[in-house]
Amino acid sequence: MVKRVSIIGAVIVAVYWVTMPWAFGQQVRGVTDTEILVGQWGPQTGPAAAWGSVARGTGLLFKIINEEGGIHGRKIKYFLRDDSYQPAKTKAIVKEFLEQIGVFAVVAGVGVGTGMAVRDELMENKVIWVGPATGVYNWIQPFQRYLFAVFPLYDDEAYHLTAYLFEKMGLKKIAMFYQNDDYGKQGLMGVERYLKEKNTALVVKLSYEVTERDLSSHALKLKDSGAQAVILWSSPAHAAILLGETAKIGFKPQWASSCTLSDSPQMLQMTKGLWAGTINSFFAELPDSDHPLMVKYREWHKKLEPQERWGVFYYAGMMFAEPFVEGLRRAGRNLTPETLVKAMETLKDWKGTGPPITYGPNERQGGKHLFYGRVRPDGTVERLTDWVKITK
Amino acid sequence: MLGQLIVSGLAVGACYALLALAMVIIYKTSEVLNFAQGEMAMVSTFVAFVLLEGYHIPFVWAVVLTLMFALLLGVFVERVFLSTAKEPTVLGLIIITLGFEMILMGFAGWKWGPDQRSFPFPVSSVEAYRLGDLTISRINFWTILICLTLMFVLFLFFRYTKLGMAMRATQQNVMMARVMGIRTKRILSFTWAVSSMIGATAGMLIATLGVLDPNMMMDPLLKGFASAVLGGMTSLPGAALGGAILGMVENVFGGYVSLSFKGVVAFAIIVLMLCFRPSGLLARHYVKKV
Repeated sequence: MVKRVSIIGAVIVAVYWVTMPWAFGQQVRGVTDTEILVGQWGPQTGPAAAWGSVARGTGLLFKIINEEGGIHGRKIKYFLRDDSYQPAKTKAIVKEFLEQIGVFAVVAGVGVGTGMAVRDELMENKVIWVGPATGVYNWIQPFQRYLFAVFPLYDDEAYHLTAYLFEKMGLKKIAMFYQNDDYGKQGLMGVERYLKEKNTALVVKLSYEVTERDLSSHALKLKDSGAQAVILWSSPAHAAILLGETAKIGFKPQWASSCTLSDSPQMLQMTKGLWAGTINSFFAELPDSDHPLMVKYREWHKKLEPQERWGVFYYAGMMFAEPFVEGLRRAGRNLTPETLVKAMETLKDWKGTGPPITYGPNERQGGKHLFYGRVRPDGTVERLTDWVKITK
Repeated sequence: MLGQLIVSGLAVGACYALLALAMVIIYKTSEVLNFAQGEMAMVSTFVAFVLLEGYHIPFVWAVVLTLMFALLLGVFVERVFLSTAKEPTVLGLIIITLGFEMILMGFAGWKWGPDQRSFPFPVSSVEAYRLGDLTISRINFWTILICLTLMFVLFLFFRYTKLGMAMRATQQNVMMARVMGIRTKRILSFTWAVSSMIGATAGMLIATLGVLDPNMMMDPLLKGFASAVLGGMTSLPGAALGGAILGMVENVFGGYVSLSFKGVVAFAIIVLMLCFRPSGLLARHYVKKV
């Protein structure tokens, strides 16, 4: 008798359990009736903290979205964590995102090493990741179903920047100064690829380690090389130190740099004005752009986060997250990783404040355009081109 | 190019020398390696920056106030963190300095943010003096001159002033110094104050040569430590010489051998010195009888 009652009881409990919504897979991690949980890591302290504003910029975009009523009745709950640019900390943060918070997606995230430390874990857990804040191949090769890159590829950026210097400006003797990691090396790859096609080579290529602060011998080698132009694929601090050192020995080439150094007012301040005249590539609209979205963001920035400097990395944090927000809108109320992936794949030349974004069933490199500008002495930028397609 | 490499190396080597001196002064007194030296210098440099850019105080006064701040910071660290430690071992004291270093780093990040800034030094970093083929920028020239002057002042201070002699006496034998009527606790605090002021000077020069941010002292501190090991951890002239040699060797190595391995020269020197001449270039190697 007792055995029979136990069996009936167990059956009732089992029926109750399996008829609950989560048992049908209706409970999607990080999605509730009223909220979507989204995370981001970013260096708020440590050597790369200057790029930490990316993650705070994303926070502003989500605040704007929430102020405007959310998306399909859900507001975005944002979790920003400081990884100090240390992959070990990024791993711990992602563990928290997955096991304690249960995020639906992650957005942006500065650093190649930090991102690579968690890429596979995020993908295995079907966490949507949109807009890693670096332009390396690691995000798209091999193909990752749940990872959508926004940042244009460094390799192609460097290739076209070199072409601009070589063809448009007639500068044939080019040198390169780059950071000795994936970021710098993928820039170097593009520069050398272009010059090889022109049957020439860099007059000198100089790498540095992130911890180095004395670049006087780098400056002397650059001067010795007779370079007409120097391409920089470095951190802002190292670019500033190098410009200072070359100025001391009277070497004044045409400087050109990747979009990672496109915060012109800050670069001018750091270099005491030496940054003026630099040719920069840009991955987002200029700070004073009259693009309707930029005008709107600036107004919200004044209202919600006036203490933040309106710099390029700050609003780049919004730019990296824009395709994700558009994907949420297109996915509709029934939000799952699969419906979002399908929605993201419908983005064709979709335009926010960054490059036109296109994804497809086999296409995860969304940003393929840049434009070029020359830094004026007052920190503003003379736009030299419209958006140029750099990746086929 | 060799001459130019040496001149540029001397400027940065002079800053290493100052940091090495700051470390050696404390090490001689208490056998403590102050790992917070770099961050103490960084915070003092930020104070100078705030005085100059925020309050628009004339440069000389800003430097004087900064040195006073550095003095108080040195005394504060010694009084609050070190002298209150209960029966501390040398290792325990070193760990305290490491902890304080992290506190200062966190404080600077919170207070001034991570943005890199240029330090407003009233000497052009672009204009240069020319001696034949050799070019020495004004900023490098003044850096070397300031460091040499400071070293000379330190030499006079330790050799000819009562306080300097009391510090040397305390460094040589604390017990005997106390017997002779020297207030060794006060001397210890003063040692930290002097060391902190030297570090602050180095910090301001390093920020001028590079950029100002909370991480600016990481590399120079390690190089300062290497300079101290090279010259001898207990020798003030040795620390100065070690800094100058390290700056020049690094630059010449980068110019003629490999830029990629330039950063490890300092650490190779530490290893070689500890293997073949652990007391350094100028310090005497004492052997204790037991």
